[in-house]
Amino acid sequence: MRRFDYASPATIDDALALLAGGDGAVRPLAGGTDLLTLMKADIATPERLIDIKRLAELDDAIALDADGLSIGALATLDDLEDDPLVRQLAPALAEAAAAAASPQLRNMATIGGNLLQRPRCWYFRSSLVHCWLKGGTECQARDGENALHALFDQSPCVAVHPSDLATALVALDASVRLRGPAGERSLSLGEFFAPPTDDRRTENVLAPDELILSVRIPPPADNARGTYLKAMDRKVWAFALVGVAATVARDGDRIGAARIVLGGVAQTPWRAREAEDLLVGQRPDADLFARAADAALAGAAPLADNGYKIPLARTLIRRALAAVTADGAPPA
Amino acid sequence: MGMLTLGHRRAGMPPAPRDVVGTSPPRPDALAKVTGAARYPGDLSRPGQLHLWAVLAGRPHARILGVDARPALAHPGVVAVLTAADVPRNRFGLIEDDQPVLAEGVVRWVGERVALVAAETREAAATGARLVEVTYEDLPVVADPATALAPGTPLVQPGRPDGNLLTEVRIRRGDAAGALAGAATVLEATFTTTWQEHAFLQPEAGVAWVEDDGRVVVETAGQWAHDDRREVASTLGLPDEQVVIRYAAIGGAFGGREDLTVQPLLALAAWTLRRPVALVWDRTESMLGHPKRHPMSIRARWGVDGDGRIRGVEADLTADAGAYASTSQEVVKAATLLLTGAYRVPNVALHGRAVLTNNVPTGAFRGFGAPQAQFAAESMVARLAEAIGDDPVAFRQRNLYREGDLEPTGRPLPAGVGALATLEACAAEARRRFGIGWDGLGRVPGASSAPRQAGEAVPSAGTDGIARKRPRRGVGIACGIKNLGYSFGFPERATATVELYGRGEVERATVRIGAADVGQGVHLALRQIAADGLRLPLAAVALVADDSAEAPDAGSASASRLTLVAGRAVHDAVAAARAKWPETDDERVEATVTYRPPATTPLDPITGEGTPNYCYGYAAQAVEVEVDPATGVVRVLGVVSAHDVGRAINPRAIEGQVEGGVAQALGYALLEDFRMADGFVLTRTWDDYLLPTALDVPDEIVPLVLETADPNGPFGARGMAELPLVPFLPAVAAAIHDAVGVWLTDQPFTPERVQFALDDSPGTSARVRTPSPATSSDDGS
Repeated sequence: MRRFDYASPATIDDALALLAGGDGAVRPLAGGTDLLTLMKADIATPERLIDIKRLAELDDAIALDADGLSIGALATLDDLEDDPLVRQLAPALAEAAAAAASPQLRNMATIGGNLLQRPRCWYFRSSLVHCWLKGGTECQARDGENALHALFDQSPCVAVHPSDLATALVALDASVRLRGPAGERSLSLGEFFAPPTDDRRTENVLAPDELILSVRIPPPADNARGTYLKAMDRKVWAFALVGVAATVARDGDRIGAARIVLGGVAQTPWRAREAEDLLVGQRPDADLFARAADAALAGAAPLADNGYKIPLARTLIRRALAAVTADGAPPA
Repeated sequence: MGMLTLGHRRAGMPPAPRDVVGTSPPRPDALAKVTGAARYPGDLSRPGQLHLWAVLAGRPHARILGVDARPALAHPGVVAVLTAADVPRNRFGLIEDDQPVLAEGVVRWVGERVALVAAETREAAATGARLVEVTYEDLPVVADPATALAPGTPLVQPGRPDGNLLTEVRIRRGDAAGALAGAATVLEATFTTTWQEHAFLQPEAGVAWVEDDGRVVVETAGQWAHDDRREVASTLGLPDEQVVIRYAAIGGAFGGREDLTVQPLLALAAWTLRRPVALVWDRTESMLGHPKRHPMSIRARWGVDGDGRIRGVEADLTADAGAYASTSQEVVKAATLLLTGAYRVPNVALHGRAVLTNNVPTGAFRGFGAPQAQFAAESMVARLAEAIGDDPVAFRQRNLYREGDLEPTGRPLPAGVGALATLEACAAEARRRFGIGWDGLGRVPGASSAPRQAGEAVPSAGTDGIARKRPRRGVGIACGIKNLGYSFGFPERATATVELYGRGEVERATVRIGAADVGQGVHLALRQIAADGLRLPLAAVALVADDSAEAPDAGSASASRLTLVAGRAVHDAVAAARAKWPETDDERVEATVTYRPPATTPLDPITGEGTPNYCYGYAAQAVEVEVDPATGVVRVLGVVSAHDVGRAINPRAIEGQVEGGVAQALGYALLEDFRMADGFVLTRTWDDYLLPTALDVPDEIVPLVLETADPNGPFGARGMAELPLVPFLPAVAAAIHDAVGVWLTDQPFTPERVQFALDDSPGTSARVRTPSPATSSDDGS
């Protein structure tokens, strides 16, 4: 790892002042579970880290008010997994947190950092390869080893977003509150995540001098249920081959509203709007779920090695829909 | 977990004060290892030491146009930058010295060491390494062994007599083509395996310094101190005795420390700079830096008679050797010999070759070619049994080696053939444990705890309703054979010195033998053997093993050989010393014995005739799995692992070897997917290269130990450390087939591969990474 300076400011304004003008060479540090890995691999080479764990205005509080659930950016994955409010009001998020990483990592990793983590593409993670996402001209995975890569083509890069939480939070219609030199702004996660472009080679629109303050999840609709399912190579502590978050609100014996979001298939959490449209107003049954699953993957454009993700995603969608519409208690 | 011990107890020995052999005293190193007090090579330091950092090539094949060390030397703290020109004799290698210590003119794989930076701090060394400016001209990369021999392919090591063909072996007996032409049933399939990383806990590290008497001391970890000494001395152009290799606590090896890595770098810097030096590799450097298990492509044709006896086998394997020889010649010989597994086959035509590429070099890894070869052999046996409607155990019972059978090389097997006994013990225990299994007459029906219907068709894509794609359970069984000890005429011996002290009676002893304890527990086993022979308590027997200048050569910690060969040397040296004791009034006697097992021979280059081995280990494993047909995820629920160990010197150590071996085998079977692309390693950390966790390893691993005495081993003991890796992969393949009806032929059995086999959906690809097209075909007739 290269040498870096370390600062531990007391207030957000101090932190933002330190970040301003750093042009990416100054990076905020919270749990550090992704950033330090990138630094060890010589992928991220910040000159200065700004520790944001001790900022007075930034916290790990999880609170409920009329606008829903507010989660401080420093809440750890372990906090989310065990919090009674999250488990009750946003079980998909609790399940996503529990399915992520390992207990040791979940103790350190924060929700803010989790949303900002970089792709796991092996070309991106190798210091020997100057791929498009790191400023190069070519995506080596597109015609190379791409078993873990995207089904939906959004940009020159075919890496997928690695976050379990992001998939669940988009299904929960969550938003993030950000603060930068110009003040605060709120963005829905659907706006926050954006495929990288030639001018911005990151997976979100956060500016280098902005911080995530908190995540907000609106109050769930009546009769709403949600879940997060994840397929991975190993029983624990692996990134999703495919993740599926589904939230469904019942309207009598029919589906009133639905969100289906896929992880591991695109550079951002991927909303399956065709599938959502197909579900609304229908009575839930296995045939409907199968048609919804087919609709969700209809636009998939597999690369040479990742076609297995299509049946995998279909299966997870069907299972998730069956779980959130089954009679009885909502799945924990 | 209890261990079941079958077979007879030792007889004919007078009772000892304590039956030291056959008991499980606590490991003396265990407490320090679990508390962190043990000193591994990365924990060592020397006063005034310099820190080293190796500059790796980072490209698979390139000509070095220039190395400019000036920017590095200008960095504060950097003391020196060493290159090929500084190495007195720039070649090393276990079997063939084809590898440079520091690259000379060309780099042939990404992990090649190009320069060595020495600095006052580790940080300065790291920065200095980044500042060394190497100018390259990239050369065409040879990445696919399937095409590496094609005319016009660039040469990895120009000047070799056979181009990119590193080695080739042929073993023939009878008339395989004729036998297959006349066989009642013939099956053919192709199997592929990929690299496996040893993933030992302690990355390569060490310290080195020059003593006042001019000796270069390297303190590190390895598997054979005396051969490390030979190779290091050779690179410095010094006599062997001027180099001392010492081993600190060794954090796992599994074959991955057989080849030199940091040792010649440490020795070179200490010798050249006359300062103590330290070098610690990080995980990525370790994953790039040492040879891996060979990827192989194996095409096999097997034929049986109408009476269910194997008539003939034709098999052909190609192994990716990577850029340098390492032990590839030996691995390919061993793998080719074992292409017929533990089965009597009257007609064989076996062909193996290792091919040089610009991929990471491949060498020794627990099993040494046996796991790949028997993935093919055992899968073919299971498929033949299925094809002729036979029970997989009954078919094996009919065809397994018996005492006195001939090997493919035309000579009788060494005595102590435990193939049938391990299979039958394993099958019986599997039936008891899993409630299902084999009795030689067909499956025992209806006893499973899980819903399962053998032979039921698997739903095809498109009809995969949730209810019909529930996880299913299956059981598989496979056998394994592995040579114990060196093969094919490689000099095989171990020397032990035993010193006895006392007045009148022997009161204590010191055993000197240069055997590496890589975590397997051989140091305790050797002390148990000595204590038993001397009728002394264990505490009265000291061992000196970890210094090439203080202990004689025992050979390597490899080929599951130390318990047998080093154990026998200790056993015999104890007897020799005891015999001297009454003949002297001295308070100290000493005896040194070199044990040489029965000789082996190289194979005839044309026919493959010869005596390849003096001892084999036998094992059988039964595995229960649960397969989710919708996701392709395979879980191993339980394992029975039966081993004929000859004699269990330390039963708990054997239990540990079985449990650890099964965990490693499980990773190989299901998870560990080491990937390279165009000569670049993609899986560079444990984030990308998935090892099994405690949750992936089944709660139920049942070690089953048989004790059919080996004629040469101490107290009848033979080795067993590699055997848990041998039958596991084909046993899992058979269990998956039992569960969902498909045969997997490409290791590892990742969810995507399982799903592809079940559900041939568009875009799903069996596109092959290595070593050649992963297609398989059955043409059962």
